[in-house]
Parts: sequence; C-alpha cells; structure tokens
Amino acid sequence: MFSQIFILSPRGDTIINRDFRSDLPKSTPETFFRQAKTYSGDANPLFNVDCIQFAHIKRGGLYIVGTSRFNLQPAMSLELLDRLAKEIKDFCGVINEEVLRKNFILIYEILDESFDFGYPQLMATEQIKPLIVNEPIQPQPDSVMNSLRPKIQTFNIFVPNTMGSQAVQRSVLNKNQANEIFVDIYEKLNVLFNSSAYVINQSIEGCIQMTSFLQGNPPLKLALNEDLQIGRQQGQYSAGVILDDCNFHECVNANELDMNKTLRIQPPDGQFVVMNYRISGDYAAPFRLFPIIEEISSSKIEVTIKLKACFDAKIIASYANIRIPIPKQTANAYPELVKNAQQETAEYDSNKKIIEWQIKKLCGGQERSLKIKLTLQATQTAHTARKEIGPIAMNFEIPMFNVSRLQIKYLRIEERGNTTNPHRWVRYITQSSSYVCRI
Amino acid sequence: MSRPSASTSSSNRSSRSRYGKEVKELQDALNQNKIESKRDAIRKIIDAMTRGKDVSMLFPDVAKNMETSNLELKKLVYLYIINYAKIMPDLAVMAVNSFRKDARDKTNPFLRALAIRTMGCIRVKLITEYLLDPLKESIKDEDSYVRKTAAICISKLYDVSPELIEEQGLLKLLENLLNDGNAMVVANAVCALLIVQESKGTTMLQLNPYTIQKILTAMNECNEWGVIYCLDALAMYIPEDGKEAEAILERVSPRLNHNNPGVVLSACKIMMKFLDYLQNPETIRQNALKMTAPLISLLSLGKEPEIQYVALKNINLIIQKRPIIIEKDIKVFFCNFNDPIYIKLQKLEVLSKLANNDNIQQILHELKEYTQEVDVEFVRKSVRTIGRCAIKLEKAAEKCVTALWECLKTKVNYVVMESIIVIRDIFRKYPRKYEMILKDLCENLKSLEDPEAKASMIWIIGEYVDTIENADSLLANFSENFKDEPANVQHQILVAVMKLFLQRPNDGKELIHNLLKTATIECENPDLRDRAYIYWRMLSTDPELAKKIVFTERPTISDSSYTIENELLDKLIENIGNLSSVYTKKPESFVKKLRDVLNSKIADKIDDVYDQDQLMEGRPEDYSDQQGGQSTVYENNYDTSSQIQSQIQQSQIQQVSQKIDLLELDDNQPQQQQQQQQQQQQQQQPQIQTQIPTQSIQNIRIPFAEVLTAITPGSQTQIQGLSIEAAFQKNGDKIVLDLKFTNKTQDKTFSEFGIKFNKNPFKLQPDTIEISCQPVFPGQTQIAQLSINTNGPALEEPPQMPYKIQVALKTNLDVFYFFIPMSLSVLFSSTASITQQKFIELSQAQNLARKQEVLQITIDPQRMKEKFERNYFFLIGARKDERGVELLSYAATLVNGMPLLVNVIHTQTAINLQLQVPHPTLMPLLYQAIGFILTLN
Repeated sequence: MFSQIFILSPRGDTIINRDFRSDLPKSTPETFFRQAKTYSGDANPLFNVDCIQFAHIKRGGLYIVGTSRFNLQPAMSLELLDRLAKEIKDFCGVINEEVLRKNFILIYEILDESFDFGYPQLMATEQIKPLIVNEPIQPQPDSVMNSLRPKIQTFNIFVPNTMGSQAVQRSVLNKNQANEIFVDIYEKLNVLFNSSAYVINQSIEGCIQMTSFLQGNPPLKLALNEDLQIGRQQGQYSAGVILDDCNFHECVNANELDMNKTLRIQPPDGQFVVMNYRISGDYAAPFRLFPIIEEISSSKIEVTIKLKACFDAKIIASYANIRIPIPKQTANAYPELVKNAQQETAEYDSNKKIIEWQIKKLCGGQERSLKIKLTLQATQTAHTARKEIGPIAMNFEIPMFNVSRLQIKYLRIEERGNTTNPHRWVRYITQSSSYVCRI
Repeated sequence: MSRPSASTSSSNRSSRSRYGKEVKELQDALNQNKIESKRDAIRKIIDAMTRGKDVSMLFPDVAKNMETSNLELKKLVYLYIINYAKIMPDLAVMAVNSFRKDARDKTNPFLRALAIRTMGCIRVKLITEYLLDPLKESIKDEDSYVRKTAAICISKLYDVSPELIEEQGLLKLLENLLNDGNAMVVANAVCALLIVQESKGTTMLQLNPYTIQKILTAMNECNEWGVIYCLDALAMYIPEDGKEAEAILERVSPRLNHNNPGVVLSACKIMMKFLDYLQNPETIRQNALKMTAPLISLLSLGKEPEIQYVALKNINLIIQKRPIIIEKDIKVFFCNFNDPIYIKLQKLEVLSKLANNDNIQQILHELKEYTQEVDVEFVRKSVRTIGRCAIKLEKAAEKCVTALWECLKTKVNYVVMESIIVIRDIFRKYPRKYEMILKDLCENLKSLEDPEAKASMIWIIGEYVDTIENADSLLANFSENFKDEPANVQHQILVAVMKLFLQRPNDGKELIHNLLKTATIECENPDLRDRAYIYWRMLSTDPELAKKIVFTERPTISDSSYTIENELLDKLIENIGNLSSVYTKKPESFVKKLRDVLNSKIADKIDDVYDQDQLMEGRPEDYSDQQGGQSTVYENNYDTSSQIQSQIQQSQIQQVSQKIDLLELDDNQPQQQQQQQQQQQQQQQPQIQTQIPTQSIQNIRIPFAEVLTAITPGSQTQIQGLSIEAAFQKNGDKIVLDLKFTNKTQDKTFSEFGIKFNKNPFKLQPDTIEISCQPVFPGQTQIAQLSINTNGPALEEPPQMPYKIQVALKTNLDVFYFFIPMSLSVLFSSTASITQQKFIELSQAQNLARKQEVLQITIDPQRMKEKFERNYFFLIGARKDERGVELLSYAATLVNGMPLLVNVIHTQTAINLQLQVPHPTLMPLLYQAIGFILTLN
C-alpha cells in the first residue's frame, strides 16, 4: 500500500509529508511535482516514475499524493485519498493551503489514526474522532492573506449555492453544535440533444447525502417512495420510480429496501453519501434549447437560441448559464438580448471565441432567447464556418425539484433520548452534469 | 509564508545567528515545566521538520519529554522520534524504555496501541529486539484495538529484521490472530500476512476451506478496507471444484453493491477468476451479469474522473474476456463534452470493442459527432475508431466508409489526414471495393503535412494507378521533392512509381528511370538505395517477375492487432483492481526492480548477483539486442539504491573468478594444457589476480564490457566465434586497455592480434599496433593489456554519452570492428593542477555548464574522500554552513587539460553533486564517472 502520503501546495511546497515505510527516497515529492508539471492539462491520476507508483487527487488546488513501490490498487488508493480529503474537511471545515498549514499537527494525527504502515485502518470521521487530541484551528476569516489570495475558481457540483452551506463548511468538532441532520437529494442530469431538440441520450445520477450533527448518533430509518423499483428489465415500462442500479454507504442496512422501501442507517458524524443511484430511463428534460442558424451573407451569420423552462411555474431555477462556441475565424460577434431583459447578461469572449449567456433566475414555464450576430473574417465563408458553431453546453441548478420523483417519505430517528426533537432538513437539488445541445 | 528561513542564504550572518537563537529558545521551552510551552515548541520543531529543515540536534531535548502523561504532547514527541530515529539510532535507544512502559499501561488501551504503533515505525534494527516482549503481550491484549495494531506491527518489524521475527515465532502468533473473535483483528492479520508474504516470497497465508470460512465471516463484519484485504486474500485461493467456487461467489457478489470502488473492483477480480471454475453455462451467465450494473455505476459522473478512468481500463479488459458482461449498454460509453481527455480516449477504446453489426449505426453516429469537436487528439482517435470498426465488421464496412467520406469532405486538415491513413487500411482489408471515394481522396493532395498521411495517400495512388487517370502526373508531383521527404514517404513514392510503370509502362517510363537514378545515386538512406537497386535489377532481368513480386498477395489485416493476447489478458484479469490493469503491463515489468532490492536477503543473494551479472554483460542470451546491451553498466545512471550498487561491486569480483572456474570445468582438454593455460593467464594478467584484494588503495577497476559477441561476423571473411571483453583502466598515471579474448569456435585458432583506434576526442591511441598475446585456441580465453597514449589524431567533436571508442581489431583470420566504452574517470590527469584561486576563477566563469545531480548511494564520508583522492579528484577546499553541512570542492583535469569542478554535499542516503564542466556533453559522463569512482573498487 502507500509508502508515503504527502500534500503539496499548488507551487509544489510540501505542507504535509508522512513517510510510513521509509522505502522511497526523500526527494519523492519533488519527483512527483516535476512529473505532474510535464502534463499539459491535469496530470494523469496514476503514473509511475522509476518504479515509484504515484496516485494523486487535487483538492482545493492542493495535490494530495500517495506513493508506493507495489502493484497497488488504484481505485482503492484514489478512494482513500478522497476519503482523507473528506476527513480533513470534516475536521477543519474547508481544505486550503492556509488551513492545512495552520492545522498540520492535527492532520498528522489524522493520518496516523487513519493509516498504519500505509494501510488504511479507520477512515471515518466519527471513528477516529475519539482518538484525536488536537483541536482544529480556524483560519482568520478576514486576514490579510485571505484578501490578497486570488479566489480559486472551483466548480464543485456538490456544493450548491442555493442555500447557505452552513452544514458543509462546519467542522464536526464544533462544540456547541445544534442537534440536527441535513438530508439532500442531489440529481445530476446528463442530457444530449441533437439540433432539432430531440433527446439522443439521457441519464440521471443521483445521491442521497446526509450531513449529521445528531448527538449520540442514534440509528435512523429512512423511507423512500412506495413505487420504487431497483433494476430495470428489458422492455419493461412502469409508472414507478425505477433505479437502474444503486449502492450504499457501509453504515446502511438495505435489507428491507425491497420489501418496504426503507433503509436503516447508523449515521456517522459529518457528511456521507447514504446511497448513490443511477437512472437511464426517459424523463422530461427541465430545459429545452432551440438553436436556429441563418446565413445572412457569405460573411455574416445570425444565431438565435431559444431556451424554454419546462417545469412547474412554482419552481425557480437559481441560475442557468449557457456557453456557445463560435467559429475561430469570427471577426466580431454581438450577442443581443431581448429588450427589457432582466437578470440576464450575454458576453462575447473574443479570446476563447465563446458567447456566455447567463441567466440569474428563471421561473418554470418561462422562455428566453438570445440573438448573436457574427461577422466572419474574409478567410472563411459562412457556409463552412457554421459547422464550427456549438455544441451548446448548459449549466444550471434547480432547487426543490427532482426529475426522478424519488422522494423521502419520512426520516425517523429511532431510540431518541430525552433530548429535544432534532431538526431534520430535507432538500432536493437538481443540477446539470453534462447538458449539451449539438448543432 | 514570511517566516525567517534560515536555510536559504548561506552567507547571511544575521540569519545564522537568528537560527542559533531559535534553537536555543526551543531548547529552553522544552526544558520548562509548563505543558503548553513544551507543546508549542514541539509544534514549531515539527513544522520546521516538515519543511525539510534539520532539527535533529534537538533530539535529546525532545526525547526527554516522552514520559509525559499528556497524550497530545506524547503524540507530538512520537512523531518527531519516528522521523529522526533512523538517522540517530543511538539516541533512539533512549526512547525504548518509554515505549515498553506505555505498551504495558494498565488503564488506557489507546496508550498501549499508540506505543505499539509508534515503536513499529522506528526502523532501527538495534531497537527491534527490545520491542519483542511488549509486542508479544499486545497480541494477547484484551482490547481489540491493541490487537489489531499489533498485527500490523509484526509486519512492520518483519520489514526491518525478518530473521528475528521468524526466530521468535511471531509469525505463528500472527497466524493465530486469524482465529480472533474480532473481525477487524482478523482483517488486519490477513493484511499483515499478505505483507509478509509479499516480501518473503513464500506462502504465509495458508488458504484452505477452513481459513476461507474464517475470512468470509470476518468480511461481513469489518469495515470497507478490511473487506478489501479479505477479498484480496480470497482472490489468491484456488477453489477445489465448481461447487466451492459457486459458494464463495455467493458470498462475494453482494460486495458489488458497495459504494467504495475499491471493494467493487476487488470483488470483480474474484468473480472473474472464479467464473472459470464453474461448469454450468447458465450459472456462469447469471454470475457474470451481476457485475454489469456495478461496473457501469463506476462510470457515473458523480464519481471522480480518476475513478472513472480506472474503471474504464478494467472494463476494457473484462469485456475482452467475457463480452456478455457489457453488451447492451453502449450509451454509457458515449463521451460527454466535459470528460477529461484521458477518459474520452478510453471510452473510444471500449466503444470499438463493443461495436457489432446491430449497434454500429448508433456508434457511427456518435463518432461522426466527435470528429467535429475541438480537441485534435480526440478527433483523430475518433476517426481511427471509425476505421477500426470498418475493419472489424465486414458487413458494416460500407457505412464506415461513408462516414469517412463525409470526414474527407469537411476539408478540416487533421480530419482529412487521419481519414486518409484509415482509408489506406480499409483498402488493404477490402481491395477494390470502395473505389468511389478515390476522387475525393485525390482532391486533398495539397494539405498533407503529416508524413504518415502523405505516405498513405501515395500508397493509395500506387494501388489504384489503373483507375486514377492522372496517377502519373500526381506521382510526378510527389517525386519532385523526393530528396527532401522523410524515409517512409520516399519508400512509398518508389513503390507507387514502380507500380505505375508495371501497369502503364508508357506513362511511367521516364518517371521510374529518374527516380531509380536519384534513389541509387543521391540518396543516403541504405534501405531506400537497396530497394531501388533491387527494383532496377528486377526490371532489367525479368519485368514479369517484378510484376509478380510487386503485386504479390499481402497478408490481411484484422482488428485482432488491437486486442491483447490471451496469456497477457489472463494475467491482467488476475490483476483487476491493481495497477497492472491500468498500465496493461504485467506487474513484474514495473515492480520487479525494486522488489528485487527488497528481496536481497542472504539466501537470494547469489541468484540476484547472477541476474545483475547478465545485465552487465549485455544479456548473453539475447544477442539481438547487442547495441543496447553491450555496455549496460555504462548507461546505468545510478538512480537505484545503494544496495544494487553494492551488489554490482560484489558481482564484479565474483564474475571474474566464476568465469574462469566455469571455463576450466567445461574444458575437455588434457589437464596439462589446462595448467599451462592457467600459468599463461597468471603471467599475462597479474593485475587481475593480484589486484583484486589491493584494489581499494589503487584506482577503481572498470568492469569488463562485452564489446564483440561470438556471433558478430568479421568484415572480410565473415568469421564468427571470437568474443571480446574490454575495459579501459587507469593504472597509476598510465591509461591501459584490458582485453579478454574468448574463442568460441570449434576448430579455428585466432592469433596475430593487432589493434587500431578510430579518431577520438581525447586523441587516444595504443602505443603499438601489435598486441602481444598468445594464440587463442578453440574454447580458450586469453588476456592482454596494452598501454595507451594521447598523441593520436583528434576528432573535433565533444564526446557523447555513452562515450565509446571505435576500434578495428586485426587477427590472422579476419578484421573486426567494434566499440569499447570508456569511463571519463580513466582520463583524469594524475597531477593536481587546479589551485584554490583557479577553482574560484573557473567556477565564476560564464562559459561553464552547470548542473545539480543527486547520487543515491550510502557511503561513509571518509571513504568517499579517500576514493576521490585515489582517483585523481583533488580536494580544493571545504567549508561548513551554519547548519553544519559540509560542502567539499573537488577538481580534476582531463588529459587534454579541460577542468572539471564538483561541489559535494554528503548526506546519509545520498550525495548531492554540483557539477561544472566546460562542455554540456561532458555532464553525464562526469556523473557516470563519479558513480563509478564511488561504487566500484
């Protein structure tokens, strides 16, 4: 298994370096950083330099790296690093360079409890919590360092910006914590339209995620739709919610799922995914895009894009961003919104040759449209250039909405002590994962 | 970070004093009574340690605090001790008592476990035996947390002192832990046994129906990582019959629904392996299909892209072995526009495997979309995938060709080029079938920048000279720049023009004439020239025959070239969920080298040395690889650990003596002659016999390299059977060449040896052309030595790595040409000519090339100095920086007067070098020479 685990800053400085087996040279972090920098984009997650195997993930701009000399198990290794990152996040609230530098002693302690001789032992926050003696040090929120540091743009599909993510960014060690539990149903949509708005491929990847701050970790019972069915038979159509496949966290007992659609959960502290599921069946896509391309002359093209929100009018998408790649030979582009457009912007990025159309709020049933006037350079004609337009990619988030209709009927806290009734928060969030319209 | 960093500026006096002050402050804080101040001090120390600063001088002060009752402080102290114990074994012994005491603490199991865990991390042999007693007790501890820690601790200590652990019967105790009542303890015992098994190389974990039951039971209760250890152990088991395999699969298959991808893939490994033992096809099918949904779930976008990548690699292998597992779900392998490129390429790979006559329409539709994307690499691979589908599926080939036809029409340069390459393969597979696209192909002649595309296009024209009316003018255009084209394009032009002439003699007459002339007279590429000559002769003797040869039937190509052969596939299936399935390489190919080092226990040593031997000698069993093999030792860049180095040293000595022994044993000649021969050897090469023991006070001895193998023929009469090993040596202030001739013929005798060197950069030449050496009779070996001077003709070129001298060797039978590798260390001048003043001047000069290097060897600093001095690397100066690190400056002069400067910092595990040489090409040679000096005797 792992010989060393180290965490490097984006510049390659060693923040954490724990050597479990002393069978690799001390200079291994440098070797790693050099090699990782040779890739043009993101480095391959697994590579090998002089018979040293490197597995790494990138979180918050930091490299979290495990090394080994053996034929290690890549899926397990990457999962381990990911869990480690989650553990650190559970303890410290967030992962970034400053927090790690402040808490390096704590992180060494976490590492020592989680791994022995490079083999994972206890990798769950609530299991190691009693063994940890150090307290996390929170970074100064308004320190000079913070304001000077450029904000790293990370697009994390699991951190919604619909609700203040107080649950996510809080450390589990917080003393006077409220007795509460958050249950989120996230669904990420994967839809591919062809140019006539016909769906070519679609799927849903969803998960039920819990963030538990329950005192005493009492067992829970979670009930799902009664018409839930797991496993899809060929050619079968059913009115119920059909999951193609699902898998569970190890704290979940799914024996009763088939019978009465309930899960028994022994919740650990902090954030964990109760269940992942996958649906490949048809569903009504929440947004439809209608692109129209017209060749006005041999050097001018007009692109009109209509967007329709096909969901209930009570539901409001918190944002919808649309990116339209346009031909490389574009001399100029003018995106035009309809008159009186509110909470909407459209901009042309002449370096990337992309039109960014951003809509801040969109109610169900509404329609929006955008017209783009392109002028081409003399070297290309409109006829060949039009093929370079697209595909249109869309990012959005719709709170309190899910397309699969998977629902939480109830969440019962069993063996509740004499404490007050804990708060239970349930929310539904639908996001785009890959929502693309070809032209 | 704005902390004062003491390590950066060595000359800055204020930082030095500040550093000293800091150390003093920390010491004071550690010696105070207040826990808080101690804790803060150790925090600071560990912070410095993490940044790579040396805080080892505080060891005594820190270790004093071990006996604290404050757990937080204790953990910090332990962390520090683990880090420095190996460097300071003497001081680490101080810590032992505290460990022993904590490990027996009555009240707190966490404290006991902490002590057991930490002491296992101190990898010092000296300490191991003190730890055995507490370890033995902890195996029987009442607390499972302690027992599970003890299990791993045994494997840790086995890594440090295997003999001791075996002697004390700890492995037996470890096996007993398999019967423990706690699942975590069982899982850790399984894990520890597997670790020991890995390093020991023999079976430690006895797998039988009884232990299998134990493991299966434990698997239900332990955590996910424990499950993985258990699954790994199960995967090694060979079931007795189908029934048992089925029963185990029954227990394993629920693990496929775990959300830890590591568990899923480990379970798949067992499933794939055990399916082979089942007989009933229906059971096999049912079990195989259990893997489908979980494998596809690994690809969901919610998973990290890294995991998806691993999953795709494994799916690619699994479907080659059992295609039914993923037949229908092709849509999940369609690329998402935001997939990282490494995932897209893998998905294409899987798609081409899944393509069949039913789904090809759907797949082609997707692939066509991909050809319009932005990423060039992805687009090219998509076009290639269309071609692969065409070759794989004969019925669908027409659809694929139509798709490629559309690609051609896009006129996008890289799409067109890739399409042409693919169409060439399709034409080869289905000759004369898709001529309708020739016209569109021929419209794209101008934009062919990529040589492969160009060569493909010319091949296509040549193949269809009878159909393409203007083939002659097209080929004439291509021939215009014939001389400037890369080799593969030249070849295709030649072949195509030849075809043109054979099919349409009138149109091609002039063209072939000019082309053959150019190719035979003006071209330097021997392959091309030879081919042109052959064509020419064929045409002049028998044009009909030429036609037959040029238009001969070619072997067909098929898609199987992309699949993995069965033997490798089975090996990789065994390694599902391991790295080899991702690299698609056998585990030996990337793990072996280091594991050999690990395994170099006394028992294995001789074997290992022999392996190294073969490596160094240019792999005698593999003559085809002469060029690479001849001087492997010279190209060895000393990155490997010191153990290999020491093995090489030993093998040198053994090699020489072994070889002679072997020869004598094999020899059937009368004993008298043998003795005579032995005497001759002793007379002729007293150096070798006598120098070995005294080498350490002489110059280093460069190992022999095989420079001429017995199957290399001579240049005139093609005599084979003379094998020569050679090495340049420094002998005092003289340079000598040691030669070892071995006659491997049955009936020939080599004599009258003479030698001449080709021009070389350091003007080396032998004193005399004749070599005084006895005739070498069949089966015999003779040794000769010649002295070398530096008055020869000069080659005005800097030496290249590896530096070799070309030599012509005359014998009574034939003349042989070969290269003898040379180490720069032989060329050091034996007189010290660089003064301290000169050194400073030179090191500041702008025209010197500079480079930092690290030599990963362990050597005593005194011995290092000695070795440098004896090999004419002269110590110029030494200074210490504020941390007490000593920087040594060395200089050597080459025989032609070139200075070589080296700054050396000696550390425990490595030597840091700063090299300065007048010419960059000398850099690797100097690095190699230093490696030789320090590692060879």
